[in-house]
Order: sequence, then structure tokens, then C-alpha cells
Amino acid sequence: MIPALYHALAEYLLAPADDELILGHRDSEWCGHAPIIEEDIAYANIALDEIGHAALWYETIASLLGEDPATYPDRMVYRRAADEYRCAQIVELPNGDWAFTMLRQFLLDSLEITRLDFLQEFPYPPVAEAATRLRKEETYHHRHSRLWVTRLAQGTPESHARMQAALDELWPYTRQLLMPLPQEPLLVEAGYLPPGDPIHAGWGSTVLPVIAAGGLAVPAVPDGPVPARSEHTQHLHVLLAEMQSVPRMDPGAGW
Amino acid sequence: MADTQWPRYEVFLQEKQGDPFVDVGSVHAPDAEMALLNARDVFVRRPACHALWIVPVEAITARTAQELQEQPLPDELPAPPSGELQAYHVFIKTRQAGPQTFTGFIEAASPEEALMLAATILSPTPPPLGWWVFPSEAVLQNDPEDEAAFFEPAQDKPFRLSTGFHTVSAMRKIKSNPPTPPGEDPT
Repeated sequence: MIPALYHALAEYLLAPADDELILGHRDSEWCGHAPIIEEDIAYANIALDEIGHAALWYETIASLLGEDPATYPDRMVYRRAADEYRCAQIVELPNGDWAFTMLRQFLLDSLEITRLDFLQEFPYPPVAEAATRLRKEETYHHRHSRLWVTRLAQGTPESHARMQAALDELWPYTRQLLMPLPQEPLLVEAGYLPPGDPIHAGWGSTVLPVIAAGGLAVPAVPDGPVPARSEHTQHLHVLLAEMQSVPRMDPGAGW
Repeated sequence: MADTQWPRYEVFLQEKQGDPFVDVGSVHAPDAEMALLNARDVFVRRPACHALWIVPVEAITARTAQELQEQPLPDELPAPPSGELQAYHVFIKTRQAGPQTFTGFIEAASPEEALMLAATILSPTPPPLGWWVFPSEAVLQNDPEDEAAFFEPAQDKPFRLSTGFHTVSAMRKIKSNPPTPPGEDPT
């Protein structure tokens, strides 16, 4: 791989890394509040998994940039301002109800499994190895969120209405989520990623049948410009203010 | 007030291929498929799991040795309406604080007959303290293809093991050697 591509790849991977981190943080907010204790344990574990995935990507990025993989993840998480994050706005939104949380998780998990299928074949071994490790866990995450979406969509009139409301609110955000990632065109051109946006197509073929089986109506998508991944909602600022509060108070703290 | 709890499923775990399945506890879930996921999350946080079975609790017929002594099963049971044989899973408990552990299969026409036949045919020694039987068709096992996604990731998560945390010894050290409060002259 030519040196310029290391930087491009690092920039590309930052988007899924930040998606995983912020989603994992939102998931962790359910700890102690999930609908039943079994689910509380399950979802706290999924939160840990997602944050672990972010850590693995930050470490991979560190090795691409010649940074220290031991300290780089903490720096990325605790020392960046909101506009330096590359997460999609969909993961920033507050959790809402359980239907909203499960549907968002499902939309993200569906993207993860699709993208990881391609990254497992990535010609740069550290990326392929990381993708293979993550793919196993995402298989389980995806199954968990898919079962919940299906059950709530097909459950009582109230659970169905809540799932439809969640879909109405979340669907417009999938436009930004599914845009090509930073530096993706360059990596496609260099032959590292497949052309023709198969990840977008794969996501659709995973998500749409579940929505249809749940009797949910896919909302119309608004026209207009799609925000870049450097543009964030106010919710990310609030989230980071809390998440970064301890390292800001005591920058050298160890635990 | 109506019971708002979801149905309960008993969970049996096999640590390694060839090991007996052992009762580890129960989970609530809206249905069997979700119960399997919940079982995985609640009971497979530590590594070492090869397979899981879940069984709705109402499918389980349980008898302690004392119950069997006080109310022995008749030598000949009345023929059940269907008269059809089906396979039963048989579990026994051999230690007071020990778990119910899989011991074998029995073909029988009813749970009572399965218990009776299990005692005679399997005749475990020493005599068990308690028995569980349930129809084999009530069992849901994880798909062996799910093994990688279900159980392998736990092996990469040493942070879930208590041995990775030194809170108690760290606190002891802090208490025996308290830091100097800010602004106070340490001399």
C-alpha cells in the first residue's frame, strides 16, 4: 500500500470507529434502565462490545499513522472536540423509547455486518483481521436487534405504533449514514474497496425485508443536501461534555 | 393483578463438547428464540461454553428423592390418552448444592412414566437427590453454526473476569497510605 493511502484509510476508518463509540455510549445509558434484567445485562454487554470495536479501530488507525496504539484511543475519545468527530448524526440522537433504541441499533448493525463482509477481504491485513473479529460479534448484535424490531413491529397495536414512529424519525438520518465515507472514492479507485456502492445495496437487502415483515411503512425521504460527517447535532455536544468531564477535570487520571 | 412477567425458561449449559449439560439458572423471555439470546447474555459472559439448551419451565416435571419416597410412583401407570411414546431428557441432582445434570434419554408415554423408567433403567449410583424430566421436543438448542458468534467472543474479553480487577487490594493500599490532602504541608 502506498503511504498516501495509509492516511486515506485512517480517515476512512475513523467514521465507523466514531459510529461505534457514540452508539456504544448511547447503549450504555440503558444500563440499569432496560425493560427487564436479562435485557439490561444483554444490552450493557452490547454497549461494551461496541466501545471495544471503536477501540480496535482507533488502534488500527494509530498503527496506520505511526501513533502509539496504547494511548491513541483515549486521546481520540477524550481529547477531541465535536467537530473533529466523524460519527453520523443518527448515533448522536438521544435514546428515546425501547423501540427507537432497538430500531437504531438494527439499522446500524445491518450496516456493520454488510461493511465488515467487505472489510474482511481488505488487502491490508490488520484491517481484514480486525473486521473478522468484529464480524462475529456483529452477527449476534444484528440477530438481537432484528428479533426485537420484528417482535415490537408485530406485537401489540402500541408496540407497532411506537416502532412506526421510531422509523419515521430515524429514516431520514439514514441518508447521511449511507453516504460514501470520507476517502472512500479514493480507496475504491485504488482498488481497495469494491465499486458501485454494494454496501448501500447490501444494507437495503438486510433492512427492507424486516421492515416489510413488520408491516411498517417506509417514510418518504426528504430532498435537500446531506450534512457532512463533520456536521453534528447539538446532542453530540451534550454527550461529549458528559463523557469527557472526568479527563477534563483531571487530565492525567489513571483508573 | 395480571401477571406481567414473561414466561420463564430453564437454561442448561455444556462447557465442552462431550460434557453433560448442566442447569445454570433461568431467564424470562417473550419466546424461546429470545430466551436463547438472553441465556447467552446472562450465562455465557465467562468463556467456556460449547452449547446451550433452553426449556420452558412448565415442561419440566420435577421430583425430589423425598417426594418419591413419600408418594412413590405406582408400579404400573394408567395408560395416557395418546399412549404414544416420546423421548424425554432426564436430569439428576447428586449433591445437595449441586446442579441438575443431564444423565440420559428415556422413551415414555408420560413424564411420570419417564421418571419411573429412568430410575429403573438408568439407575444412577448413588441414588440422586432429585430428578427432572421433560419432553425432548420442548428443548431448543442453539444452532451449532451460531457457535462462533455466540460463544467465541467471550474468550477475547478478559475484562469480564474478576481476576483482572484489583479494586480490593488497591483500596487497601490507599487506606493504609492516605494521600496528603491538597494545601496541607506534608512535613
